[in-house]
Formats: sequence, C-alpha cells, structure tokens
Amino acid sequence: MPFIEVNGQQIEVDEDGFLVNTDQWSEEAAKVFAKQEGIDELTEDHWKVINYLRDYFFQFGIAPMIRKLCKETGFSLKQIYQLFPSGPAKGACKIAGLPKPTGCV
Amino acid sequence: MAGEKKYKAPNKATVAEMRALFIDPVPDERKVDEALKHLKYLVEKYRPLMLAMESCTKCGHCAENCHTYLGTRDPNNIPTNRADLFRKAWKAAYTLEGKLFGKLVGAEPLSLDTIEKMYSYFYQCNECRRCAMVCPFGIDTCEVTFAGRQLLHWLGMVPKLQAQVGAAMYRTGNHTGLPKPGLVDTCEFLEEEMLEETGVEIKIPIDKPNSDVLYIPSSADFLLNPNTMMGAAKFFHYLGVNWTMSSEIAEAGNFGLLFDQRYTMRHNIMRLLNEAVKLGVKKIVWGECGHGWRTGKMYVPSMADRPIPVPIVHLHDEVSYYIRTGQLKLNPEVNSNPTTLHDPCNFVRACNMADTLREVITAVTTDFREMTPNRERNFCCGGGSAILYDEPEMYDLRIKFSAKKAEQVRATGVGEHGEGYLVAPCSICKAQLYPMVEEHQLGVEVKGLIDLVGTALYPPIKKND
Repeated sequence: MPFIEVNGQQIEVDEDGFLVNTDQWSEEAAKVFAKQEGIDELTEDHWKVINYLRDYFFQFGIAPMIRKLCKETGFSLKQIYQLFPSGPAKGACKIAGLPKPTGCV
Repeated sequence: MAGEKKYKAPNKATVAEMRALFIDPVPDERKVDEALKHLKYLVEKYRPLMLAMESCTKCGHCAENCHTYLGTRDPNNIPTNRADLFRKAWKAAYTLEGKLFGKLVGAEPLSLDTIEKMYSYFYQCNECRRCAMVCPFGIDTCEVTFAGRQLLHWLGMVPKLQAQVGAAMYRTGNHTGLPKPGLVDTCEFLEEEMLEETGVEIKIPIDKPNSDVLYIPSSADFLLNPNTMMGAAKFFHYLGVNWTMSSEIAEAGNFGLLFDQRYTMRHNIMRLLNEAVKLGVKKIVWGECGHGWRTGKMYVPSMADRPIPVPIVHLHDEVSYYIRTGQLKLNPEVNSNPTTLHDPCNFVRACNMADTLREVITAVTTDFREMTPNRERNFCCGGGSAILYDEPEMYDLRIKFSAKKAEQVRATGVGEHGEGYLVAPCSICKAQLYPMVEEHQLGVEVKGLIDLVGTALYPPIKKND
C-alpha cells in the first residue's frame, strides 16, 4: 500500500493518494498533501475551505454540495480552483483527508 | 505499485473492494481456465454474443463510426477488434475450425496477457452502440463489452471507480455514498436557495409518506448539478405533484449495467421496486441519467423477481406530456443563449427519446441549434459507461474520446462568443463534459435539460406581493 510520510510517520493512502483512514489526518498531513498538489503554503483561505469540509463531513457523513461549499466559505468556484488547482473534489477533499468522492463526479 | 504497464487501464479495485461486491478475485494461475468457463457460459447463453462471435466479416464499417478509434487511431479501439479479444479465444477453445486451423481462421488461445488487454480495451469502450447501428449484420459490439466486463468482474477485475460505486450503492442506496443526513441537508440547502430566488417555499421532500410520485434523481445532482435538482423540484411544484425522493434509493443510475448485469443490476432494480411498494407511490419518475434510464426502461421488466408494481416513466416524457396537454406553459425567451443538445447515447440509441428531447428543448430555448450528426447518429461524449477516470493517462484518453464531440459542438457555433449552452441531460455526460468543454475551449456552459425547464416555467414561480 502506498503511504505518505508525516513527521517521520508513515500514513496509508490509496492509489489516488487519498487518506485511507480519515482519523489519521492532521494539519501536518494536510501540508504534505498540499505539497503534492503543488500548493507551497496553505493560507488562511485554504484553511477556511479545509475546515469547512471537515466539519461538514463529520456532521453529515459526506462532502457538501459544491454550491454549498462556495456559499458557506464565500468563495466562487473559480476562486476554489485558484486555491486548489485540482478542484474541490480531487484537490480540497484530498488535503482535508476526506475520502475521494465516488459516482458521476 | 505503478510498475510497467503494458496497456493503459484504470486502477483496479483491491481485494477488499472486490470482496465488498461479494467477489473473491481469482488468482493469476487459475484466471485463464476460469475465464474460458465464463466465456463458454456467456456465449452459449446470449444469442447477440454468439452472433458477434460467428457473423463478423471484418467489413470495417464500425471503425469510422467509433469515436474512441477516431480520437486515438488505436486499432485496438476498432469495435470489431475489441470483439476479437473474445472472438479469438472463443474460436481457439470451442470451435472445430479454430482447433484445427488456429490463426488461419482467427483463433488464438486465451492467455493472461489477453485478459489484461481485455481489461484495458473493454474499459476503453463507451458502450455507446454507434457501431451496432451501422453494422450490416446487426452485431451489437456493446453486448461484447457487456459480456467482457461481466467476465472480468467474475475474475475480480473491476476498475476502482465502478467497484466503489457498486459498494456505495449497497451501503447507502446511492452511488455517491450520501447517508440520509447528507441528503436531507442538501435538500434543505437547495430549498433555501429557491426560497431566496423566488420567495416561494418549494419543497424537495425525502421519505415523505403518502406521496404519489417517487422521483429518483442521479445522486450526482446532490453534489454537482444543483440546477438539475432544483429544476425538477420547480417542475413538480408548478404542476402540484405530490412527490418525494427516498433515502433508500436516491439513485437513477445502475452501475450493474456497466460491470455486473447479474447480481448488482438486479439488486439495484429490486431495491427500487421494493421501495416503491413500501412508500405506496403510484408512479416512479426517472431523473437525468442515460445508462440508468436504459436499465429502467429495458432491463427492469426482465430482471425483476415479480410483476412491476407501478408505471415507470422518464422525467422528460412527463415534461413533454404536460406540454402537449397544455398543462405546462413555458417561456423560451428566458433562455436566449445559443444552445445545442448533446444526445445521450442511451437515450437516443437505446430508449427512443430523440423526439421527446427536442419537444422539450425547443419549448424552453429561443436559439436552439442541432449538432451534426444528431439523434441516433450522434457521437458519444467520451464518458459513456462512466469511464470517468482521472489517472493522467486515462484522463488523456477521455480528452481524445471527446474530440469528435468537441468538433460537433464547435461546428454549431454556439460557443463563438463564449455564452453558449451545451445541454446534456445525463449525469455521466455532465461529469465528462464539465472538464472537456474547458479542455477543448468550447465557450459553452454545460446544462441539464430540466434546469432550463425550471427557469422557463410560465408564469414563473414568484411570490405575489
């Protein structure tokens, strides 16, 4: 199984690079994922999206509708793509330690 | 894990993921034998498959009609060559001439390598059936892909995407894995959106008792296509339909059609029929999902374990019925952007919906321009059968598979000024086209068809004050 290394510890990820166990997420892990996504530094704006995704996920068991993510964080979809170049599902969800969304997405 | 891959192929489901679909993957040393057993069973049981094995004369008609071949120029993507993956093994193992004359008659014993090649090329077929439409012998190569994927499933070889969707369906009753709290929250959010927009409380009910209509949306509408969900809600509201969705089956899709036409497809069908009886609805209305509607229309009757309890209709058949009977008034002036229609393959080549789609789209837009070719001759978007993989080499194939579609859209001129609409009333098409219209710089926005019905309702849903 592939893994990422966070503070000298190995954490398991799937073939798409998403965290296998959401509980193993940490801010440090987010930074490692961000580097993979070509984001050098996670800014306050990034954290706003990441924290919202995590809060929503733990409350409702799924990532939010993209329109809701935009509305609640105040970012347009274009701004989300500027923050997370691979997009809300494949970029932001990965950094937030959420499972990869499935289905016709 | 990456290693050297001979064939381009999507990541496979892990053993654990296959076990979630009740399949124990077959070890390599037994794969060829097992595959030959399945091959015999499938060919002998399914006449269209036998026809494909025995009747092809290699006339080559299918080649220039397949967008995967046109986009890649990979000879393995010529439909008859795709079918050869089965045909050669069939001839070598089970026909007299194949046993006697081998390669001379196109026979070639099955090998592990061929099985890997099957996994690659059966998952490069969009199952769009354009080749079937032009075959002078009536060979439906899509049936070969169906059988190929079934065989691969039994061997334990299914792409992660399809396997995860199958498992999400068992777990939650929808492909996206939305548990009930997620469904309810999303509906409430969209209700608020519509309240803000119209000043009217338009409901999106889940599990509402005593409903007349069970609406099954594509679950992607909860994540990605809010205007499709709101369009349907506005349409039902306008007509005063007593409707609900169900948290037990909030899904129009049925990936069983795409990788396991036995247990998975049947399980999903029975889940729907059971729920319709439990809720006591009088009708099931199917949302914007191409392959799902093909399952609904063509496979439900033959796969169900008991008579179908209620009529099953498509949302756009409903829309066109209400237009024709004068109960639904629409104002096309509100959608004046140049608009073209992508005909989902499963709607027009499997479900006879070409006229219905046109009846609806011309009632809700003022500048509708047909693509060429269109209707049952239309080309696939390149995402068909959910080959929506995003590993770089597979994503690159998706761009190539959509090249023909891009050419068609461009030729309509709708995107010339960057304000065109590309209407695609199917979730797989939408998921494929959202990124592809950017990759090909088409200047269009991808829309659902019911989205435009929602905006064109007349008089519009508005609070009187």
